[in-house]
Amino acid sequence: MTSNHPAQQAGPSGAGPSDVGPPEADPSDVEEILSLQDVSVVYEPVGAAPTHAVRGVSAQIARGEFVGLVGESGSGKSTLGFAITGLATAPARIEKGRILFRGRDIASMDQDSLRSQRQGGFAMVLQSGMNALNPVRTIRKHFHDIFAAHRHVPRARREERAAELVGKVSLGPEVLDLYPDQLSGGMRQRVTIALALSLEPQLMVFDEPTTALDVMVQHAVMDTIRDLQASEGFTAILISHDLGIVLESAQRVLVMHDGEIVEDAASADILHRPRHEYTRMLLSHYADPRAEVVTLPGLEDRAVLRSDDPSDASAENPASSSPEPADPSAEPPDPSAARSAPAAPAAPPAPAASSDGASSRRAPVSRLRSGGTELRLQGVSKVYPAARRSGRAVRAVDDVSFTLEPGGATALVGQSGSGKSTIAKLITGIERPSEGTVHLGDTSVGDLGRSGLRDLRRTVQMVFQDPYAALNPLNTVEYTLARAVMNLTDVRRDGARRRVRELLETVGLTPVEQFTGKLPHQLSGGQRQRVVIARALACDPQVIIADEPVSMLDVSLRAGVLSLLRDLRESIGVSLLYITHDLLSARLITDRILVLHDGKVVESGPTARVMRAPQDDYTISLLDAIPNPRRVLTP
Amino acid sequence: MRYALRKVGLFALTLWAAVTLNFLLPRMMPGSPADAAIARLSQNGPVTDETRAAVEAQLGVPDGNILQQYLAYLDQVIHLDFGISYAFYPEPVSGLVATALPYTIVLVGTVTVIAFILGTLLGVLAAWRRGTWLDALPTVGGSFMNTFPYFWTSLLLLFFLGYVAHLFPTFGAYSATAVPGISWDFFVDILYHAALPAVTLLITSLGGWIIGMRNAMINTLGEDYVTFAEANGIGGRTVALRYAARNAILPNLTGFGLALGGVVGGSILVEQVFGYPGIGFLLFNAVIGQDYPLMQALFLMITVSVLVANLLVDILYGVLDPRTRR
Repeated sequence: MTSNHPAQQAGPSGAGPSDVGPPEADPSDVEEILSLQDVSVVYEPVGAAPTHAVRGVSAQIARGEFVGLVGESGSGKSTLGFAITGLATAPARIEKGRILFRGRDIASMDQDSLRSQRQGGFAMVLQSGMNALNPVRTIRKHFHDIFAAHRHVPRARREERAAELVGKVSLGPEVLDLYPDQLSGGMRQRVTIALALSLEPQLMVFDEPTTALDVMVQHAVMDTIRDLQASEGFTAILISHDLGIVLESAQRVLVMHDGEIVEDAASADILHRPRHEYTRMLLSHYADPRAEVVTLPGLEDRAVLRSDDPSDASAENPASSSPEPADPSAEPPDPSAARSAPAAPAAPPAPAASSDGASSRRAPVSRLRSGGTELRLQGVSKVYPAARRSGRAVRAVDDVSFTLEPGGATALVGQSGSGKSTIAKLITGIERPSEGTVHLGDTSVGDLGRSGLRDLRRTVQMVFQDPYAALNPLNTVEYTLARAVMNLTDVRRDGARRRVRELLETVGLTPVEQFTGKLPHQLSGGQRQRVVIARALACDPQVIIADEPVSMLDVSLRAGVLSLLRDLRESIGVSLLYITHDLLSARLITDRILVLHDGKVVESGPTARVMRAPQDDYTISLLDAIPNPRRVLTP
Repeated sequence: MRYALRKVGLFALTLWAAVTLNFLLPRMMPGSPADAAIARLSQNGPVTDETRAAVEAQLGVPDGNILQQYLAYLDQVIHLDFGISYAFYPEPVSGLVATALPYTIVLVGTVTVIAFILGTLLGVLAAWRRGTWLDALPTVGGSFMNTFPYFWTSLLLLFFLGYVAHLFPTFGAYSATAVPGISWDFFVDILYHAALPAVTLLITSLGGWIIGMRNAMINTLGEDYVTFAEANGIGGRTVALRYAARNAILPNLTGFGLALGGVVGGSILVEQVFGYPGIGFLLFNAVIGQDYPLMQALFLMITVSVLVANLLVDILYGVLDPRTRR
């Protein structure tokens, strides 16, 4: 009860001995709101070995700062966030160290005083705002529960205060009457922010606040968070795996790796003068898809035909390796010319080494030899009838036409609900088009019967977004792949076993013997996605549809899977339909792009040209929604 | 409101289908009650045509075509006229059912409701205080009691508390000397006789509710909305009841609906062991005595009560879970 008294803010006087924090970039006499001193968090699950998720972390956060906490999955960033907000519960335990919030140690506080700290103290916005609201309570009741718990708003003012709070996150008072399932994902996350704000916190921890949201919504929610931080003046800690989002918002960034903070510096320094190699590695996976030349480690732009040494690229900042990001509107679109020019056939056919690449990119040799199948959509529409008499029919795909040539790579880009996944369903025969035709070579997919569809599986295969869900956790890699081989081809016994080994080699899971007996949970996310790709290749398909294949993977694993997808076109001549909302990866591995909005193609053309000189407003807004730290931080 | 109307409409349709099936099924079976009676008689010697005619006249042979029969049947169902019982000749079936029904509803119905409420509360407590003795005791105890077959439990209770210790009566719904009527003495006597069967039913059904609720609640405790409520400093009791338990109870309601529907079917074994004159007891005797009118009436009633219970739970679900209303 005494906690939110101003007298308590005096500092860490009573709580500990001389409090010497590590030297900071700006050691002015700003008041510290949070001080982490050698904090370690351990997970102690029953019947399993303990895991040290956070090891000896120290950091100081000043009042009013906007700090980013960045790391890949398993880095301990969320664990630290939960510890800071007093939410670390079994099996997690704060092993040692002190978490001083305004001088009082949270780590050793009992539940009741912790609870009273939450009003006027620290608040948290969770990763999946989608599920952070109780489905059986209206939004109004959520606010009233908080007001009732802390009694910091007089009863007569509560209704007015709740309306005011949802107003701060750009929602109208009518949402108070609604249940969570009546709100969109972005609205729900706004409501959770408003709820956290209702505590009048001095420190707010945002744990991946926009990860589950669509790019455009992501952008808008981040804008709201930044505006609120400025207007309400709380201290903010933004936890994210996305360095781009963090750099765009935070003044200072803590980079976390394997439970330790490996770098703590101002955002501009992180971007321009990263000191730790892990930070440099993270940065190297960011690039502006609008740039003239786009490279990632192991994935150099295909317009550049003279790459020097791509294997060394992981250690360098793309800002230094590529020419300065040009203003797309100022320059004429011309790299498309360089792109389409068949420069490569002149080059000697290089051995299929995945790290090297630029020289022999052009000709899909094997598919040219075997003929190949063209995928052609003509005026395709898909209308889903109204769910109820009162509802309206949904036109998920509206008059879409395009051709995917053998060995080609086309990106379908758009936010969720744009119809891109429906197109995948139409091509694989899961859905039939309401109008228009889908042709694979001479076959009309929409007219296929049951057995025709089974044959279609040999021609078209899919790679799914979530490699966890796409593999049966009880089957070994060998079993999974052998089933695919035997279901779709006539190869049996030793032949099937040989084929499995071949597939594993194709997707770069070598030495093969190490992987055949593994179960999915024993593999990393990237390895799992490679197994999914190997399974798709089992029957030597002509077309692979990859639906957001890297969106669930850590950035350091993405490039490997992307380059595998790209190299498959050259090595076995398969053509690729790449469905994504991520324009950077689309730029890197596809030749052509279709931008979808509300089921319609709003723009299409060579990928580089569309990105560098977008014509449609929607394409432009998609490009603008990409976090771009350089836009903010470059002087 | 639209939701409730839709459910009621669906209920009416299902009810009609059940009533019609109850009419059709016996007519699709080979043979007839008269054939069965004559077959039994023929074991003692040849059956003359006069005897056959007499049996058929006594049991009643349907007249008119199937549609007329169906309409006559519907008319009888509406007037709750199910004919005369064979086994308890010449009692009308409706009278027999009306006598047995209150006993079963009071005994099995009350116990089912108590078991659900008590089991759910214990389950909430066990999940909320996970890992403490408040968790271990109901969970381990519940699964232990669940492993007892209930006729075995009832025999044990009957033998030790009834026969050996003479603490409780061993038979019937009321004492032979009691005067049935609305009086305090008779009410106490009823409770006294219902104690052992009730305890048997409670012991064997409680564990399932405890464990079901505990597991559902442990799942909802891991949900983000519970973590977020805690992060907002909402008090423990509110989080446990209004956030975690409130959501955890939803799937259990379906099970409760099924259990409630089963109440009218009675508990054949328990009623049989304790000689309790409820529906289960009646059904058992109807089957033994090949009492077709009684069986048909009982089956129809059991079906209808399952439907009614499900309708009630569906509507309750709609009240408790806003997502189902849309």
